[in-house]
Amino acid sequence: MAYLTLSNISKAFGGGLHEPVLAVKDFDMEIKKGELVSFLGPSGCGKTTTLRMVAGFEMPTTGVILIEGEDITSKLPNQRNVGMVFQSYALFPNMTVGDNIGFGLKIAKKPSEEVKQRVKEMLDLIHMAEYGNRYPYQLSGGQQQRVALARALALKPDVLLLDEPLSALDAKIRVSLRSEIRAIQKQLGITAIYVTHDQEEAMSISDRIVVMHEGKIEQIGTPFEIYNFPTTVFVANFVGTLNTANGEVADPATGLLSVDGVQFESATVLKDRKKGEKVRVAIRPERFNFVSQEKKANVLDCKIENINFLGSIVRIQVLIGNTKFYMDTFNNPFLELPKIGAVEQVTCSREAVLVLDE
Amino acid sequence: MNLSSRLRNIPFWSWLWFILGALYFILPLYATLDFSLRMERDIIGFKAYLSAFEDPDFLKTFGYSVSIAIVTILVSIILTIPTAYWVRLRLPEARRIVEFITLMPFVVPAIILVFGLIRIYSSPITIPFTDIVLIPPLTTFKFGTSILVVAGYMVLGLPYMYRSVDTGMRTVDVRTLTEAAQSLGANWYTIISQVILPNLRSALLSGALLTFAIVIGEVVLASFLGVPAFGPYLFLLGQHRAFEPAALTFTTFLMTWAAMGIIQLVTGGQGQATGAH
Repeated sequence: MAYLTLSNISKAFGGGLHEPVLAVKDFDMEIKKGELVSFLGPSGCGKTTTLRMVAGFEMPTTGVILIEGEDITSKLPNQRNVGMVFQSYALFPNMTVGDNIGFGLKIAKKPSEEVKQRVKEMLDLIHMAEYGNRYPYQLSGGQQQRVALARALALKPDVLLLDEPLSALDAKIRVSLRSEIRAIQKQLGITAIYVTHDQEEAMSISDRIVVMHEGKIEQIGTPFEIYNFPTTVFVANFVGTLNTANGEVADPATGLLSVDGVQFESATVLKDRKKGEKVRVAIRPERFNFVSQEKKANVLDCKIENINFLGSIVRIQVLIGNTKFYMDTFNNPFLELPKIGAVEQVTCSREAVLVLDE
Repeated sequence: MNLSSRLRNIPFWSWLWFILGALYFILPLYATLDFSLRMERDIIGFKAYLSAFEDPDFLKTFGYSVSIAIVTILVSIILTIPTAYWVRLRLPEARRIVEFITLMPFVVPAIILVFGLIRIYSSPITIPFTDIVLIPPLTTFKFGTSILVVAGYMVLGLPYMYRSVDTGMRTVDVRTLTEAAQSLGANWYTIISQVILPNLRSALLSGALLTFAIVIGEVVLASFLGVPAFGPYLFLLGQHRAFEPAALTFTTFLMTWAAMGIIQLVTGGQGQATGAH
């Protein structure tokens, strides 16, 4: 049963003298109760606009938004029970941490004892019990964002919306805070939408990811599905590093593909495709290995073109036929790397060879 | 590094220009103060100040200007805050036009403004094609003239008030704060009164004090509209007496400094309001 439904949502901006710009097109999805869904995509893909429509800050041009079957599309932001965490924290500078957290409760005219109790609970939840009397300017960015999260959660919202909440923080804090956000979301069982352009963040925090591009949904899936089985070239390229090459179907029955005359076996079902049909062949760099004794499906001759150390991994550029591919291997002090210019053999499983539509 | 060693590290030329600049401002002020204290021969005293303050015209004109300044500030705030807020929130494309309008008083002299006001409001304004009077001639009665004075001062103070408010709104990012408050269930009244205004207090104070300073010292508008304001009084006093104008000038300086001190005191924490990152 869907808890939050976004049905056929579109949003156009502008008009008048200018052509209206469609920021979101036919956005259609259902979110289950307690689920954390990330909207992932590059700048301008419509993810924040979609989130703002759920919050009520933007009115959809078409479509409806339902929470537990109730149509909230035309409700004002202050009439929806939706909590929001902003990229810039948006804490009220004139109020203490405690007053910020209790602001929504006071607006809802809760008894002062209840407000005090709830503020205390929220401060405990974010591990900032002793910070209640401080002002936002006396806190670090990470602390401010935790307070913003507590403030949004204090009202027990139906849905929690997080608009790139970690973008303004440094890398280490981002990693620790995203785990904290996920833990709190799971602990409270709250339904949440998390907007980010950071694929690693989306992968680590989400139950499901919605990859968006130019206002449209490209793919919806679990982080595992999105990374391992991208269905479009955009998703494949946007999420993780990917080798892509122009190829054609050599034998639909056996899943044989040809890239510049080099043949790749793929586990993808190609029965619906014709022989000679042009396709995009995609392989993740980490799915390549140097050939060992064990015989694999795709054993391919290659020439080592370049080797780059990227910290925990080593990225090797190889030439297979006339096509350049990257392969990743874990870095370790005893790693024996081939020499640049050497001719080697690499292999990858049939499942690693993805076939994407042009 | 302590203060004395930091001061020693400042180059000679910086010191020279700083001292010359300071003398340029301080010497005339000192001369005014010194002159204002020498009303009685060979005695340093505050007689000029007492004489100036005891003049009933001083109290009358100063009281009038202060009350006009307060009304001007209040009406300006009522006009400026919703305008700047709405432009920031909903009409960002109108920002350039509004900024242009607010800068007009720098371009159009007060003399043009006052002649415009007199020309339009010295005769009754009727509903077109009828004899029904919509607005009586405002220049013909005291209250009406005071309305014109307030309107004129609002125009003169607009660049300062609008810019102060607009800068204050930019500093605290009113758009996001508004959305945050809305998502927490707040209505417009709560947002304005509990979130926006408290965070604009230093900006409002700056705008208010600048408007106050303009109103207190303004001569042209008040003279032509014939109101008993402090500016024309000071001007006339200067033509008939020697020491009292100096005393009042120095007092006005003190008031301005006090106003600047209040701004500093209140806005001291403004930079921190945006948060430590």
